[in-house]
Amino acid sequence: MKRRIHSNEEEAEINITPMLDVVFILLIFFIVTTSFVKELGVDLSRPSNEPPKDVEVSEVIAIKIDRTGTITIKSRETDIRAVRANIESALAVKPDASVVVAAHREADAGILVRVVDQARVAGAQRVSLAALATP
Amino acid sequence: MARRHSEKQDDTEINITPMLDIVFIMLIFFIVTTSFVKETGIDPTRPKVERATQKPRGNILIGVTESGDIWFNKQEIELTLVRQRVEEATAESPESSAVIIADDGAPTGVVIDIMDQVRLGGVIDISVAAELEGS
Repeated sequence: MKRRIHSNEEEAEINITPMLDVVFILLIFFIVTTSFVKELGVDLSRPSNEPPKDVEVSEVIAIKIDRTGTITIKSRETDIRAVRANIESALAVKPDASVVVAAHREADAGILVRVVDQARVAGAQRVSLAALATP
Repeated sequence: MARRHSEKQDDTEINITPMLDIVFIMLIFFIVTTSFVKETGIDPTRPKVERATQKPRGNILIGVTESGDIWFNKQEIELTLVRQRVEEATAESPESSAVIIADDGAPTGVVIDIMDQVRLGGVIDISVAAELEGS
């Protein structure tokens, strides 16, 4: 009786070697294809096609970037290095103000990204993009 | 005699169960963490910023060259195709966010057009790739 059970067990054992092969191949495939490199990015939010909310003009810090990449804050030409200080002083007056960056279609994207970054560093809570109508 | 022989074999057999456990855990880990990032095929000069965040779910990469050409999955595509590609990508992994890798000198208009198309394709979380200053 005891012996019969023993021999039965041996016969019922499943050969797991092929499964192991498959598992190892899968493992190696996933190890090789996994890439952990992630992009660094600056969030840009652009108003969608919804009807625009009524924002009081006084609560907006408007930054304009024209075709050549000249940055204008409150109708005053500004260097990229002075953008942060300008926004900080504007935010000191109106802490709830949101920053709106309007860039010309042909301006460099790098300048836009840098201006948005500077606005974030200056502490602006809301930074959004606005399309500048091409003249 | 035969019985003794089989007993000896049983004794010398290595128990592979713990190794199997580890292999399965590794396999599951790699399956879960793998996200098939499609490279853009270009390596633009990213704008240097002071503050950038990592985009852990940034699976949709769209490259923009200095001349305004759009690259996706190692091929140049038209702006009208961006929406379709984004929809395909979100069907594969629904929680992915988009990262636009724009050249420092890429036209802002193209970047904003891409952002609109990506949003139409159903991805709300859009950012523009950047590089930390000093790195």
